Amino acid sequence: MSSDPETTSIVRSWLDEGVTQLPDRVLDAVLDQVPATRQRRVTWWPARRNEPMNTMLKLGLAAVVVTVAALIGVNSLGSSNVGGPGSDDSAPTPEPTATPELTPEPTPEGNLTVGETYSISLPEYPIAISVTIPAAGWWGEPGGGVLLINDADPPAGAGIITFVDDGYHVYGDPCQWSTTRPDTPATTVDELVAALSAQASRDALAPVDITLDGYAGMSITLHVPDDADFAECDEDRFASWGVPGEDPARYHQGPGQIDKLWILDVDGHLVVIDTAYYEGTPQSVVDQLEAIVDSISFD
Amino acid sequence: MDTDLVTRAQRGDEEAFASLAVATGDRLHAVAHRILRDLDLAEDATQQALLAIWRDLPQLRDPARFDAWSYRLLVRACYAEGRKERRWSPPLRLLPSDEATQADGASMVIDRDQLERGFRRLSIDHRAVVVLHHYLDWPLERVAETLGIPAGTARSRLHHAMRGLRAALDADARPPAREVAQ
Repeated sequence: MSSDPETTSIVRSWLDEGVTQLPDRVLDAVLDQVPATRQRRVTWWPARRNEPMNTMLKLGLAAVVVTVAALIGVNSLGSSNVGGPGSDDSAPTPEPTATPELTPEPTPEGNLTVGETYSISLPEYPIAISVTIPAAGWWGEPGGGVLLINDADPPAGAGIITFVDDGYHVYGDPCQWSTTRPDTPATTVDELVAALSAQASRDALAPVDITLDGYAGMSITLHVPDDADFAECDEDRFASWGVPGEDPARYHQGPGQIDKLWILDVDGHLVVIDTAYYEGTPQSVVDQLEAIVDSISFD
Repeated sequence: MDTDLVTRAQRGDEEAFASLAVATGDRLHAVAHRILRDLDLAEDATQQALLAIWRDLPQLRDPARFDAWSYRLLVRACYAEGRKERRWSPPLRLLPSDEATQADGASMVIDRDQLERGFRRLSIDHRAVVVLHHYLDWPLERVAETLGIPAGTARSRLHHAMRGLRAALDADARPPAREVAQ
């Protein structure tokens, strides 16, 4: 009988055999696809680093040198996704970096100034979305598409993320999203709300008509099941929808997450404002989410 | 890995990503081949992993963790390719070695075949632990962190896998049943 050291030695020797070079054609195929492959938005961790949109921020945070760029863009609540990575393995650990251009870890004070107006649009959006910060503690990268508070994670975190896309592929099952992606995207407010209402396991509340900055639309609230096991889901992600070139675009941060969506047609562009929070999020923070949404202006 | 290169690629710099892909492609492919034991599947897995790296790079919080993160995406791609294998391929297809066999007699050849069979009986989960630990020579704690599993789970998987491989080797060492009968 082989001893363990013998087995280990044999296995190691056997593993040393085999290819060690990636064929050029494979590498070429990858690089050929890169220009047409859109990078995913950052979840709640800022990845896009644009210049701050407002003078006050520049003045107020000049010493901190936080490159305020786009909270919203990064991604939103979730990889779009506001509330934190949840089971997102692409974000191993929230270790802060000393690189000055990176947004620092959230602090109780946040890095956004109360009463200031910031853009929460991604650079590629055809319209600009601006919000006013109602209270202390909000942080993110204005211009990145995401705003966060209380470190965004459960149990008390919250965040807001925006999407402006022409079509949304709402997955039939957020856990089995890769195999339940519809070929035809939702391209109108009604279609998108209908698709979300029908999504499996979301316990959607009845949609209500809303108006935001003069634009009519609908609001709908969805839930991630409390017993959702993200590790059992495709790519360990529980995801609501994809957009062209980005699947999934909105995925969630953990069981029990609540998403209240404002869905609007803004001059022909389908806009989704996604506010995410948890049962443990203080009501005051939920109220601040509402206040931020109420402050939205489209340009 | 050059973290500046990673940071540039995170920001959408395609040339920086190309440099990253060149720098990491070989080692990713080597690991994929050892997990999947199939050149075609390994090439597909490596290709999918590299594209996933490009797509998800903005979500990598710490560029210094690029290496571990890239292996994690690779193993995920191997899972996907492994599922294809189970769906479309015979379960115990043996492949020739890609390199010349050491001329150390028939026993080595038999060992390789037995190992191949034994390894293919393992799940991708178990194979990944064996390859990361015994091929890359990583400590189990790092293997566990990369795969996103508890260290105890990694240890258990390694133990189970090595026991299976040892059994495969031992089976070869036993005389065929027919000889025993005689």
